[in-house]
Amino acid sequence: MSVSAGDNIKLDWDRQEDEARLEEFDARIDRGELIEADDWMPENYRVGMLRMAEHHANSEIVGALPEGEWITRAPSLKRKLALIAKVQDEVGHGQMLYRVSQDLGKPRDAMLRDLITAKTKYHNVFNYPAPTWADVAAIQWLVDGAAIMNQKSLADGSYGPYVRTMKRINMEEAFHFKSGEDMVLTLMSGTPRQKKMMQEAFDRWWNPCLMFFGPPDKESVKTGPFMRWRIKTATNDTLRQKFVDRFAPAALDLGLKVKTYQRDAQGVVQRNPDGSAIWTIDEALHPIESEKRWGFSQPDWDEFYTVIRGGGPLNRERVGLRRFSYEQGAWVRRAVLGRPTGAPPNRN
Amino acid sequence: MGLSKVRDNIPYYSDDLSTPAEGDLRTYEVFVQTERGKPHTYCGSVDAADDEMALMFAREHFGRDQECVQVWVAPRDAVIRTDYDKDLVFRLTDQSYRFAKGYNVGMKWREFREQRDYDEYKKEDLREHF
Amino acid sequence: MTDLADAHKKPLVQLLFSIADDKLVLGHRNADWTGLGPILEEDIAFSALAQDDIAHAGAIYGLIADITGGDADHLAYGRTANTYRCCDLVELNDEFDWAVAVVRQFFCDHFEHLRLRRLSRSNWTKLRQLASRMLAEENLAIGHADQWIVRLAKSTSEARGRIQHAVTKLAPLTPSLFEPTEGMADLEAAGVYPPLEAPMFDAWESMIANVIDETGLRAEFRAPAKDYVGGRHGKHSADFAAMLSEMTEVYREEPAAQW
Ligand SMILES: [Fe+2]
Ligand SMILES: [Fe+2]
Repeated sequence: MSVSAGDNIKLDWDRQEDEARLEEFDARIDRGELIEADDWMPENYRVGMLRMAEHHANSEIVGALPEGEWITRAPSLKRKLALIAKVQDEVGHGQMLYRVSQDLGKPRDAMLRDLITAKTKYHNVFNYPAPTWADVAAIQWLVDGAAIMNQKSLADGSYGPYVRTMKRINMEEAFHFKSGEDMVLTLMSGTPRQKKMMQEAFDRWWNPCLMFFGPPDKESVKTGPFMRWRIKTATNDTLRQKFVDRFAPAALDLGLKVKTYQRDAQGVVQRNPDGSAIWTIDEALHPIESEKRWGFSQPDWDEFYTVIRGGGPLNRERVGLRRFSYEQGAWVRRAVLGRPTGAPPNRN
Repeated sequence: MGLSKVRDNIPYYSDDLSTPAEGDLRTYEVFVQTERGKPHTYCGSVDAADDEMALMFAREHFGRDQECVQVWVAPRDAVIRTDYDKDLVFRLTDQSYRFAKGYNVGMKWREFREQRDYDEYKKEDLREHF
Repeated sequence: MTDLADAHKKPLVQLLFSIADDKLVLGHRNADWTGLGPILEEDIAFSALAQDDIAHAGAIYGLIADITGGDADHLAYGRTANTYRCCDLVELNDEFDWAVAVVRQFFCDHFEHLRLRRLSRSNWTKLRQLASRMLAEENLAIGHADQWIVRLAKSTSEARGRIQHAVTKLAPLTPSLFEPTEGMADLEAAGVYPPLEAPMFDAWESMIANVIDETGLRAEFRAPAKDYVGGRHGKHSADFAAMLSEMTEVYREEPAAQW
């Protein structure tokens, strides 16, 4: 039997808060003050913040895995060192974000256990495969690029410990991003084979990155309490548009083709027998002068929900590897905790 | 050629964990000094079993990849703090009397000295503390 | 001494390959743990030490390239298996057994410390300077390994058992560390690789004993037999072939290309 601390951490909008304190809290948020761990805060603020930080921490930890498997195969000493450092940074981000979450009330161990038994989620984007070295380049350029956009907006949030963590994380993300940019540039100035490899990897990551920012905004989100309390500071669609405006023209200039899902006349997404998408040039991708933005085709949101529910290409592998690491390392933690924490599972 | 045997054969279990919750290690606050002579600044926290482990973790996590000459760790519960709401820290009443800028001597000097002499005299003032 | 005598170049390159290859392979093995360590903070620490090893390897390949020509990446990735000079102990696949990883780091770092201490007294200036810088970082790694060995061996009986098991498993591979590279005696005599006060094996064994004596771990070590031929002469374990092919998988696709 496993106990999950997540069970009693729920948002409850019917909850009664002390009116006067709530008003004072809202006023502080309006003045742009940062809330600290010691401060009084509405329960839904604490839970909302915890959920966001925990999800973010989970994503950093799982995000280390797709690139982690390329450490042993990085093609030069510099790339090898940079990749180890990059993956190590992501683990460090996870550590810092779990610390923030722990101080909001959930033990780290409970968070790790919820993660590896699929009770909590992590970012969808890490459920996609990285089958070639060029995927490492694509991830560091596009996924870390998307993460920076997201994290820059989160650094404008209202919770002090999270905001400070975002600032430190972003410093390191800047390195991840430049390293990715450098790899993409190198491959796109390389041999025909390297260019092809890069294009294929770009195809695999462009649409997952569009989904990275989450589903299209519902009206309720923009005015909801998370925006009001500045737990979130930008909407999904705003960030997605920013991403396209920055990366689409850069990719085109590099000679990359930007593709979308092939759909039939009714708009139904066409797929290969193995379920993978069939890519076709995104005809909607061009600047819209009057709106000062780039037009683009929406990704397949059905796929997004399938992946969220655990049906993505690699959900099982990612969670499985994290669980392997947890179970494999349990004896070390038992030893340092200085107290028995139960017998190891016999498959260890 | 694929990955090492282990990575290629990770099993997937969907059942709950059979081990009970482990609980967390002790939290330590970490401070780093980027240069000799500069103040130590708070930079985050680590969880560790004891002081020795905390120092090792803090060094590798916060000390190695940016300039750092010393790392301090302290158990969180050894850091005694005031309460934001209950404890007043900064005095709220007028305390201009305890700041240099609270004394407007320039006007008064004018009665006694030429501006030039006063300016010369003023050069040695600790301007940054006004 | 600012210039290296021609006669010493060949044996020194062999010695330097043994150090760089050991560090590259060990760093490669340990770096594979990044993201999978038993405690997040330790994951970060272990990965930092793996980076040190690979960075050291890179610096030594750079020094070799100064002597022989070529470049560090090609030396690290582009050689045939039998020209690598790493030993069986670093080649072993730890299969994500953390006791094996930590005990290996413990054995190797103490050995590396001795090797670097000797090089930091070399009469070839360039080598002496490089080795001194590395020695400071190597000592950090030793502190890390010692702490874990003592801590785990003195904790639960489960952990103690696992560490003991790893010690027993790896001890028979430790002679591979001490196999001399071709022409080493000449380098020793010439002061390029000055000997320690005691033979390497004895010095190493007493460093190891200093740490494990207080833990009650049992271990027996022996120096390599006179006729031992292993990694230092290009005779590698089965794990090495698999490792090398994985490590160079992308590089080999287009060895001439930039990556
Ligand atoms: Fe990150
Ligand atoms: Fe990143």
